[in-house]
Formats: sequence, C-alpha cells, structure tokens
Amino acid sequence: MKMRKTILSALLSAALLLSITACGSGDSGNAANSGDTSQETGTSKAGGTTKLTMWHIQTQENVAEIINASMKRFAKDNPGFEMEAIPMQNDPYKTKLITAMSANQLPDVFIHWTGGPMISYIESDAVYDITDYMNKDSYKDQFLDAAIKQATYKDKIWAVPVENVSPALMFYNKKLFADNGLEVPKTLDEFEKTSDTLVQKGIIPVALANKTKWPGSIVYGYVLDRIAGPTAFADANNGVTGFDTPDFLAAAQKMSDWAKKGYFGKDYNGIDYDAGQDRQLFYNGKAAMYIMGGWFLFTAKGENPDFVKDVGVMQFPANPDSKGKSSEYIGTMGDNFYSVSKNSKNPEMAFKAITYLLDDQAVKERVPAGKIPPLKAITLTDDISKIISDSASSATSMQLWLDQYLAPNDAELHKDQLQKLLAGTITPEQYNKSMADGVKGK
Amino acid sequence: MARKKKFSFAAIVAIIFAVIWMLVATFPFLFMAFTSFKQRNELFQSPTIFSLPKSLYLDNYKEILTGNFLIYFRNSVLVCAIGLILLLAASAMASYVFSRLKFKINKIVFAIVIACMAIPIHATLIPVFLLTKEVQLYDNIIGLLGPYIAFNIPVSVFILTGFMKGIPVELEQAADVDGAGKVRTFLEIILPLSMPGLATLAIYNGINMWNEFVYAFVLTSSVKSRTLPLAIWEYQGQYGIDIPMVMTILTLSALPMIIAFVVFQEKLIKGMMAGAVKG
Amino acid sequence: MEVKRQSLESVRRRSTAIVATLFLLPVAFFLIVYIFRSVIYTFKLSTLDWNGVSQSSINIGLGNWKTLIHDATFFTTIKNNIIMVIACLVIQMPIALVLAYLLDWANSRFKFLKSVYFLPLLMSSVALGFLFKQLFDSNYGLAGALMKIFTDSPFNLLANEKTAIWAVIGVISWQFIPFYMIYYFAGLTSISPELFEAAVIDGAKHHQYIFRISLPILSDTIKAATIMCIVGSLKYFDLIYVMTEGGPSGTTELMATYMYKNAFTQMKMGYGSTIAAAMFIIITTISLFTFKMMNMKEEN
Repeated sequence: MKMRKTILSALLSAALLLSITACGSGDSGNAANSGDTSQETGTSKAGGTTKLTMWHIQTQENVAEIINASMKRFAKDNPGFEMEAIPMQNDPYKTKLITAMSANQLPDVFIHWTGGPMISYIESDAVYDITDYMNKDSYKDQFLDAAIKQATYKDKIWAVPVENVSPALMFYNKKLFADNGLEVPKTLDEFEKTSDTLVQKGIIPVALANKTKWPGSIVYGYVLDRIAGPTAFADANNGVTGFDTPDFLAAAQKMSDWAKKGYFGKDYNGIDYDAGQDRQLFYNGKAAMYIMGGWFLFTAKGENPDFVKDVGVMQFPANPDSKGKSSEYIGTMGDNFYSVSKNSKNPEMAFKAITYLLDDQAVKERVPAGKIPPLKAITLTDDISKIISDSASSATSMQLWLDQYLAPNDAELHKDQLQKLLAGTITPEQYNKSMADGVKGK
Repeated sequence: MARKKKFSFAAIVAIIFAVIWMLVATFPFLFMAFTSFKQRNELFQSPTIFSLPKSLYLDNYKEILTGNFLIYFRNSVLVCAIGLILLLAASAMASYVFSRLKFKINKIVFAIVIACMAIPIHATLIPVFLLTKEVQLYDNIIGLLGPYIAFNIPVSVFILTGFMKGIPVELEQAADVDGAGKVRTFLEIILPLSMPGLATLAIYNGINMWNEFVYAFVLTSSVKSRTLPLAIWEYQGQYGIDIPMVMTILTLSALPMIIAFVVFQEKLIKGMMAGAVKG
Repeated sequence: MEVKRQSLESVRRRSTAIVATLFLLPVAFFLIVYIFRSVIYTFKLSTLDWNGVSQSSINIGLGNWKTLIHDATFFTTIKNNIIMVIACLVIQMPIALVLAYLLDWANSRFKFLKSVYFLPLLMSSVALGFLFKQLFDSNYGLAGALMKIFTDSPFNLLANEKTAIWAVIGVISWQFIPFYMIYYFAGLTSISPELFEAAVIDGAKHHQYIFRISLPILSDTIKAATIMCIVGSLKYFDLIYVMTEGGPSGTTELMATYMYKNAFTQMKMGYGSTIAAAMFIIITTISLFTFKMMNMKEEN
C-alpha cells in the first residue's frame, strides 16, 4: 500500500514537472504563437489573417531586415494575408529542406539554387508552376533573360530569380603583379608563363580552397569552357556528347598539369573556404590570383578593407582559335531563386509576396547591401556592384556552377573525382571515365 | 594522500605531463576567447590569425548581448534544465530496475536499451520531424525535449546501471530488514549513493544538450524558439563568416557551461565524499 | 508453512514485476516513440528507391542491400570506423585514465586543473573546426611550423591522404579524453580513501596500490567506457564532417558521414537509409558481443 502511495506521488510530481514545462514554453513564445502550434506548412487562419511562411537563407541581419520590410509591405497591401520570412543558415538548410519535402511539409515559399536539385524538386512534384503569374502583365520581362532561362524547365517557369547575380571572376593582386613586373595574362599561354614566373619566385599563382571542393570545380569549368566551348558541359550531361571526348580530356589534362606545376600551391586540397584560408593567402600576398564568385569583393570589404584597392579584376584568359571565348562566364544569374511549393494553399498570394522582394523600395535597399537582383533596369551606385553587374550583362554565356547544374548525385561524383585528379591520385583519363560511367544526367 | 618531503621521479613526470596537458587543453579555448576581442578586419590583416588582439575590443560582446542572444540563452537553459531532470529521473529509475531487480527478461530489456545507442542520429530526422509536426510541437522548445531525452537515455542508463551495480548490496539488505519497500530503497539508498554517477551524467548530457545542433535546427524555425547553437547564423552568411563575431558567441555560450561545471562539480564531489577528505 | 512461503515468494515476484514495469515506463515511452519508430522507419526506407523528396517511391526489396554489399566505399568507411575504435581504445582511454589518477592525486591541491582539463569537451564543433583547420594549415598553422623543424617541406596533415585520418583522430581524442577522464575520476572518488590508507599502512608503494587495488575496483568502469568508446567511434560524425567532410579522396569517410551524404546531399534517401540500417546492425552486434565477452570473463 505504502509503495503504491509513493509511486503515485512520484507520478504526480512527474506530471507537475510536465505542467511546469508547459508553462515555461508558454511564456517563451506567446507573442508569435498564433502560428506556433499550427502547421507551418500550408496556411493557418488566426483572427481572420491567413499566415504564409517563407524559408530563405539571408541570415545576416541587414539583409534579413530588407526581406522583413518587403513582407510588411505585402501584408499592408494585402489585408488578410501575412508572410512570415524565416532565415536559415545556408549549409544545414539543404538538410532541412529535404527533411521537410520528404515529410511533405514545405513552407509556402522556399529558396533554392536551380540546376539539378530544382529539376529533382519539380520532377518530384514539389514545386508550383508559376509560368502564368510570370507572364501576367509581362512581369518576367523585367528580369535578365538568362536569369529567367535558369528558372525554366520544360518550357515552364518554376522560380523567381531574386538575388545575387554572381559570375565567377578572376581577381589578381595589382601590387604584387606590378612589383614583379607582371602583365595581366590574356591567353592561357600567357597565364601559364605568368604562373611559371610566380612559382619560381615562391608565390602561389592561384589561391584555391579545394578542401571545400567547389572552388576547384569553378576553375575546371572555366578551363573546359575555354577549350570546349560554352555548351560542351550541358551537351555531355544531356547525353548529346559524352564526358570522354578529346576536349574533356584536354581540360582534365590541363587541370592536372597546373596542379602538378604548383599553380595552386601545394596543399590546395586541404585549404578550406569556410575558414578563409584561401583568402588569407591572397590577402597576405602569398598568392597572386584568386578565382571566385563576384561576392568575394564584398567579403574582402568586410574582412580586409585596405586590401580591396589592390584587387584587380580580369577575365579568365582566352584560348585563341578554340571554341570558347573570354566573354563566357561560369556563375549564376541569381543564386537565390524563390519557388512556391505545390502544397501551398494560396499559391497566388505566395507568388505575390515574392514580388515584394523586388519592388522598387526593396531594390533600392538591396543594391547597397550587395544583393544585386537580376533585373534589366537597375541603377548601381558602388564600384563593386558595377564590376559584378557589368561582367554579368556583358557575358555571352553564363554556365551555371557545374556542381549546381548537375543532378545532386552526379555533382558529388564530379567534385570528388576532381579533387582526386588534382591530388594526382587519378589520371585525367580516369577522371573522364568515372564521369562518363557515373553521370546519369537528367 | 601522504605528503612526501621529496618529489619522486614519478611525481616529476606526472607534473610535467600535467602542465603539458594543461596547455593542450586550454590553448583552443584561449584562441577562441582572444579572437572574440578582434575586429573582423584585424583577424585577416595581422600576419597570423594566432596573434594576440591589438586591444580589448568589446564591441562584439556589446552587439551580441543587445541582440537576440538572450532569447537563445533562455531557451537553451530551459531545454537543458528540464531535459536533464527528466532524463536523469527516467534513467535512474530504469537503472535501478536493471541493477537490482531480478525478473526473467531483465537482461533482454537491458540489451534492447543498449542497442538503442546504435542508431545514427541523422536516420531519425525524418520520423521525428513528422511526429513533432503531428503533435504540433514544431517550432516549440518542448518539441526538442523528446529527442534530447530519448537519444541520451541509452548511454545514461548504461552508465548508471554500472554505477548502481557497484553499490554494495549489504546496505540494501540492511534496509530490507527494516521493511523498506523497493521504492523507498531506491529513493533513500540507491539514489543518494549514485550521486557521483548522476553528476557525471548531468555534466555529460548537459553539454550534449547545450551544444546540440541538428535537432535544434530541424525542429525549430523562428527566433523565439531557437537555442544557442543556432545563434551564430546571424554572422555566418552565405559567402563568408564574420569569424570574431562567431567566436564571441561561442565564447559566451561556453562560459555558462564552464561556470556550471566549476560550481556544480565541486559541490557534488564534495557532497558525495561526505566528509571523507582524502589525502 | 511450505505453502505460505511459496505464496510469499509469488507476492514478492509480482511486486517486483509491478515496480519494474512502472520504473521502466518513462524510458520505454521515450525509446519507443523516438528510437524504435525511427529504427523501423529506417528499415522500411531501406527497401525503397527514393530521392527523399518525391511523393512516390519504388519498392526495390533488397536492391539497396545488394548494392551495399558491393559498395567498396562502404567497406572503406567500416575500415575507417574500426581505425577510430582502435585509436579510441589505445589513445583516449589510457590518457584519460592517467589524467584521472593525476586529478585524484592533485585534487586537494590543484582543484582548478579539473576544470581546465575539462575545457575541450565544452568547445563547440564550429569553433574547433575553424581552429584546427587553421592549426593544420601548412602556410600559417602551428603544425606547419612544427614540421619545419623536421622537414623542409611541411604539408597540411588534413590534406594528405595518408595523414588526414590521424590528424582527425588526434583532434577527436583531444576532445573526448576529458569525458573519459571525468568518468574514471567519478569512479576513483567512489573508492573509499580508507582503502588507500590501509594499503599504505600495509607498506604498499603508490604504484602497487594503483595496480593491485584501485584498478581492479575500476574495472567495471573501464569496461563500460570501452563499450561507449566502441559505440561512439562507430557512429561518430561531428568533427569529421566539420574538418574534412570525409576527404581528402574519401580517406576519412565514416559510415555516418557516408550515410548523411547519400541521404541528404546526393538525395538517395533509400540508399542512405540502407547504410543507416546496416550501421545499426553492425554497431548493435559489435557492442552486444563485446558486452557479452566482458561479462563472460567476469563470470569465469
């Protein structure tokens, strides 16, 4: 009997504890709690207001604020609707996105990077077709054509290109070049000569953070473009040609040669982008050139403002008498594309909310923050944005980052094998063979 | 320990080892703390990132303490405290059963609990996410308690059962003669004697919960329900990290744990030694 | 008389069963809701060809398992995990034991040491990842500077296919030694000090006391630590993912990182789940086997 009493009291105290728990959380989120207990996905009505949700990855406070301001304007102009914009960190975002998709619990609006993953989402019936909305009042015409093209699949538009036109650019240390009597290389031959000189002087020609893998893919993308032309990669991926043509071999060979000759220094496969190790080499004059997305200039402005004036921008060297031109770029017309999810109950309003991310006020705020939208009519005020935007608008072609262009599975193969190629553990032939055998395409 | 007048050779080796390990253990922490006193551009402008900060630059701390940090902090404290109490209570009860009660399937049940250690955490993401949505605990810190408790139970039960087995049975038999029931034996004899084990577990699981990232990320979304490990986002952008800011947050996140450890651990160990001062 | 005792016995047994059931309820609740369901779910997914996103998936039965058996990468990851286990057993556990004795010995005089030694376990993986990447950098890092003493061409230990796993093991050991240290230390403090005094009175030297008296008492603690070491190393994920992401060229890939990449990066949820399920089987088998072995020794 006694024992039962004790158990009972134990259970009671446990229950008490749980209720305390409940209280604790109650006060932890009263303010925003109308949506708290309801499903984030789909929509919820609270007090006559339909609440929608948007996931984005602009976690920095200033940019997140711009987005919040846009959503406030949306709510003001559309009584009865509200859009909660939730910022998340880039890397784990992909994990969360897949978790939410597999549970069929996407928010009304989410961002992605187009390319292979977008096609997977579309094929999996997760994305809402917004072609009609985009065509209405010729809304899509204000975007750069290449940006719309990037959001198009099977002749339908699936996403709104919102921010970050980012071509990969080739940066060089002007002072270092001048001190060593070097000229900006215009062709691949000149680049090799310049690099040989730099290696002799003990300077790393190109800082490459290939532990992170995708920086190597950018360089490879350029080399391949200059040798094989702007459509070579897409053709191979779509099965028109293959990944083992002589052009592909020449590109892989060149990458392997450059690595062997020390153009990327020694430990490039251990240099980490996220820890800023590549930039450290470039900032401190240990490396003379750097191939990176245009955003590097904004990063440098934050990390090492004095250094920015020494940074020159050049085009990736040309390869005369070949299929590729120096006006062709690797990069993206916007690396945050906003899509409406298929299970949104209010796709039209969700789309409308996205348009507020690019209304006049938003554009005015975005440009100084370095978030350049891919719009045709845009006035840029600072030098950095101009450099980036000019490169993008003068580009005769813009090949999407190879690792985003490929299907997710193929992208990992490409990056892993390329890292091995640069490490010298596989030959160019083996690299091409593994791509030819492994890439399933779209 | 008996005090000797002369240090033996072994003692000297031990002291050298102690000092070396002290350096090895503190260096990263000092690095983190020092970096938090730097400005973003100072980090990359100085010849090496290991150099000392130029001055005691406190703006990082000011900026973070005036931001959302305190919300995250409160959430972390709540999750940690409630999670630990529930976890330790549940584990202690189960461990008592495994270490003391004799019934047929005892060993099998114990093996099943231990086998639960083997599940990789990422394999549980989707089912737990779905469940949390279904019971409407998504984006609510209570939703974190379930996985935090569940995934720490196997190790805790394992450690505690071992600990309780080490407690001499004679003590209980004495109590049994008194006619104390099993529940009272548990509450009055086993639990107090398990304090060293419970303390170790509190520390270990406390740290786990405090630093847990994956579930905090997947099961919460808005600022009001985020925990400390998610606080670094605001300074970790798409293309680059504001490293000194991140280090400031990490230092601030680690400090409460260090303080808790120093206070808690000293008190508990003292308590459990119950006057029997060594040496 | 005889009958009465029997019924007393059965009453006692029933009360034991009631207490056991009630006391196990909370743990059972959490494990069933969060872990059993996940295990079942994982095994279910392992039979699917599914990208994790699509609302439709194809049941391919044991197809994924057949792929897994022929997947050379998976076997490399098992090998790497086993290296991790061994390293944990021969590096972490002995050092932790020595430190625990050191703390026990120094406890009254240098209390702060305990807190200092404990610091590594408190550091977040993000900070550690950043720091150690910088430390291993051959241009600026400490490791580079140290290597210069021995060789003209220092290299990045994390970037080298032969050394990467050892570099990572070094960092992981550094982070987890404090855990085992505290665990042993807790074991040591529960040894009654009278035992030591009695030994000293009997004329035992300090090392004799350690090897003859306190280590045998600690043996249960050490056994438990061994199991945790094995399980922990077999499902390790954190710092490897932060520092190397399994690279260079897959030389530090572990079962957990491989599973994660398949399921969430390459969008092969079905295959990723198969790896997870295989991990579950492997880890359970190894840990229960070790557990059995240890207890068998004890019984003999």
